[in-house]
Amino acid sequence: MPSPSALQSLDAGAVHLRLAHVTKRFGDTAAVDDISFDVPRGSFATLLGPSGCGKTTTLRMIAGFYDPDAGDIVLGGRRINELPAHRRGTAMVFQDYALFPHMTVRGNVSYGLRLAKVAKDELARRVNETLDFVGLGKLGDRWPNQLSGGQQQRVAVARALVLRPEILLLDEPLSNLDAKLRVQLRWELRTLQQQLKMTFVYVTHDQDEALSLSDWIAVMNAGKVEQHGAPWEIYYRPKTAFLADFVGAVNLVPGTVREVRGGQATVQFGERSVTVPVPADTSLREGGEVKLCVRPEALGLAPRGATTDGAALPGTVARKAFLGDLMRYWVTIDGREWIVDQPDPGASTPLDGEVLVQVRPERVHVIAG
Amino acid sequence: MRSLQREPGLLLALLAVIVLVCVFILYPQIRVIITPGTGYIDFLSGGTWIRSTSQSIQVMVLSTTTAVLLGFVFAYAMVYTDMPWKPFFRLIGILPLLSPPFVVAASYLILFGPRGLITYGIFGQTISVFGLGGIWGVQTIAFFPFAYQLIADVLSRSDARLEQAARNLGAGPWQVFRSVTLPLSRPGLGAAILTTAIYVLEDFGNPALIGGTFTVLPTQAYGLISGFGDLPGATAVSTLLLALALILYVAKIRLDGGRSFITVSGRASSMPRPPVPVVLTWACFVACLLLAVVILTVYGTLLVSALTLNFPNNLSFTTKHFEYITSDVNGTALQNTLIFGVVAAAFSAVFALVAGWLVERGSWPGRRVLDFLLIMPAAIPGLFFGIGYATAFNEAWLDWLDRGVLIIISMIFWNIPVGYQAAVAGLRQIDRTMDEAATSLGASSLRGFRDVLIPMLGGSISVGFVTTFVRAVTTLSVVIFLFTSGTTVATIRIFQLVNDLNWGRATAFTVADIGMAILALGGIALLSRGRIALGAARA
Repeated sequence: MPSPSALQSLDAGAVHLRLAHVTKRFGDTAAVDDISFDVPRGSFATLLGPSGCGKTTTLRMIAGFYDPDAGDIVLGGRRINELPAHRRGTAMVFQDYALFPHMTVRGNVSYGLRLAKVAKDELARRVNETLDFVGLGKLGDRWPNQLSGGQQQRVAVARALVLRPEILLLDEPLSNLDAKLRVQLRWELRTLQQQLKMTFVYVTHDQDEALSLSDWIAVMNAGKVEQHGAPWEIYYRPKTAFLADFVGAVNLVPGTVREVRGGQATVQFGERSVTVPVPADTSLREGGEVKLCVRPEALGLAPRGATTDGAALPGTVARKAFLGDLMRYWVTIDGREWIVDQPDPGASTPLDGEVLVQVRPERVHVIAG
Repeated sequence: MRSLQREPGLLLALLAVIVLVCVFILYPQIRVIITPGTGYIDFLSGGTWIRSTSQSIQVMVLSTTTAVLLGFVFAYAMVYTDMPWKPFFRLIGILPLLSPPFVVAASYLILFGPRGLITYGIFGQTISVFGLGGIWGVQTIAFFPFAYQLIADVLSRSDARLEQAARNLGAGPWQVFRSVTLPLSRPGLGAAILTTAIYVLEDFGNPALIGGTFTVLPTQAYGLISGFGDLPGATAVSTLLLALALILYVAKIRLDGGRSFITVSGRASSMPRPPVPVVLTWACFVACLLLAVVILTVYGTLLVSALTLNFPNNLSFTTKHFEYITSDVNGTALQNTLIFGVVAAAFSAVFALVAGWLVERGSWPGRRVLDFLLIMPAAIPGLFFGIGYATAFNEAWLDWLDRGVLIIISMIFWNIPVGYQAAVAGLRQIDRTMDEAATSLGASSLRGFRDVLIPMLGGSISVGFVTTFVRAVTTLSVVIFLFTSGTTVATIRIFQLVNDLNWGRATAFTVADIGMAILALGGIALLSRGRIALGAARA
């Protein structure tokens, strides 16, 4: 029986998929441990996390390949826990595509429609339409082993889309492709989703992919959802040190709260201190341990002696790496290494030796605990 | 478990498999084991079992050792060297798998028997060829090809990349073999040795033809029934035989996890193995050539004998032996062999496929038990299986049941492990996401099985079918207690004709029987357009 709280206040118009207190155990370990979240209708939702965090298990529970041990999965206002996987309308794109090798492209794409006993004319029309849509109009009679990786990936998407599923599930669909194609197909997927206004649930361990594709991200770790929200929120306002570290390079500097006043907190780190804004849903108390979280690109770098705005920390360049679009510096300040990114490295000569690291307090995020 | 509740079709299929396994695999065995009852006491105190058991073990150790040694040489040569004539040697290695093992004894008698071509014809001797020495020699020749197939299978799975790595780190060919290949394939080799030992232990035909007074367990069981009508005694001996085979089989399971199939990545085998020294290659070539000469002599003798009036005394060409075996009751026997084999192989392949799918892809409790029962017949001596069917289904209320049907059923279930393991191995090579892809597109489990898995399993199904067919048409021990005059088969007639010393007719029958097996294998290989390697017919 669905628990009342699962269906309560479920606005079927806004929330398309709801997971309420869902748990899945394998033996003694909880692969997914009491997670809850709502996916807005028509959004590109991403489950992001390191391998083994439970993101794929979660996706597979939505698809019906695993039965949750506890909790409710509600799709479009209907609890689907007891619905067999093949009746859920949750078409899935698999990591290795899982194209049927004994069927042509057309055979693969039409398979679901044939199962649904769609009339011949309509079937042909929809298959052609979908193949054109993903740019495979001419390849319908090929066999899967005659296609490139990118083409196979498109067939896998077409095979799922042609069913007009309630929701499309994608399990790391780009991870088997080379870097360049991965970026290209990323945009294609995003464009596709926006044209169709369909809800996508996408699983990946690649934070770039998650940030660039998604309307909504849930970051998972050790079977729990650490935080969910807009990519921007996750990136700049992470709630935990794990999150901050997982989603891109970051400086995490331990400190102690010395004073909290009027939405501002003064945090002491080492011999220095900085006064920064307190995040909206964080409560800080004086004497509490916190972590200062600053993205490398939010810091500035100047030669010793230059005039700077904001706080300037004197340090020494330990090493640097040229990454093309930016120069990454590791700067030792009071015995701790800070990462500082300088954009457009071609515009200036690289710095070395004694430098100043500029910190703008409004770009520093505080993580409690 | 929940998927069973949600899909009644699945539940029905599972129940059908369980019922059939219980009735046709478990029940006959239990019947044999309980038949002696208090007779066990008489039997054990009688003491005749001590001699046959110790002789069984003695001959098993001897024959297994030599068969494995020869098989190993052959396998090493085939897998590791680039000696010439490999396709020829491959065929030589397959030929014995396509024939009843006991025809080696027949050939041996023609060549070395009291009136044998070599012993009497050339040397004018009438030495005794019966007994331990004869069985040892004949079983070595009869079973080394089996050992070869099993060992070659193990060796070819050893990862060429690891061997390349060892060479790269400075190991010589011999060091690579000793320090990398052998340690890694030790469990597989152990399992291969034990499997060969089971074949030897269960062998009924060879000891029956040339054992003379040297009794082993299978011949003792047969003698007790055919000579004295002593069913309790025979079932007790069979139970003892089963116990020995099961001990070997359990040891084998511990080594290879119950199946000789492991999923191999295509990449590993595509890498060339490090070369072996030229001297070794040529030594292997000479050894293989000698073995090939022996095999060709064995089968050549049968062929020539089948086509001559009275081999070796009158070598005029004749077709009268073949005319004989295609007429009357003999024609029926050949026809039965073909029909029983085809029907049994077809049903066995289908049943094994469904059972393999239910066990490999299912998640219901008790699948390990069903798995064990399905591979268990591989450990059951054919003679025991035959006695089991004769005991369990020889009931008045079953008189309506045609004996031919009973023989077919016995062949189906005795051979289940073949098709079952082929199906399981095939399924393990198909990623589960294939099933899930079908499911997510709206297919029920059964529908996905039909639309996606079965077409992809084509190779495994053919292997299961053809191997079962070959085993069905070459088995003697399973049918020897089940046949009637109307349902006799080729192997039975060969056995009878050899016992009558009617060599021409016996060998003609043998040639026809082996011909059927070769045609089946060749046909399937053609149909699958070479996708199935000929070596896949290993039992």
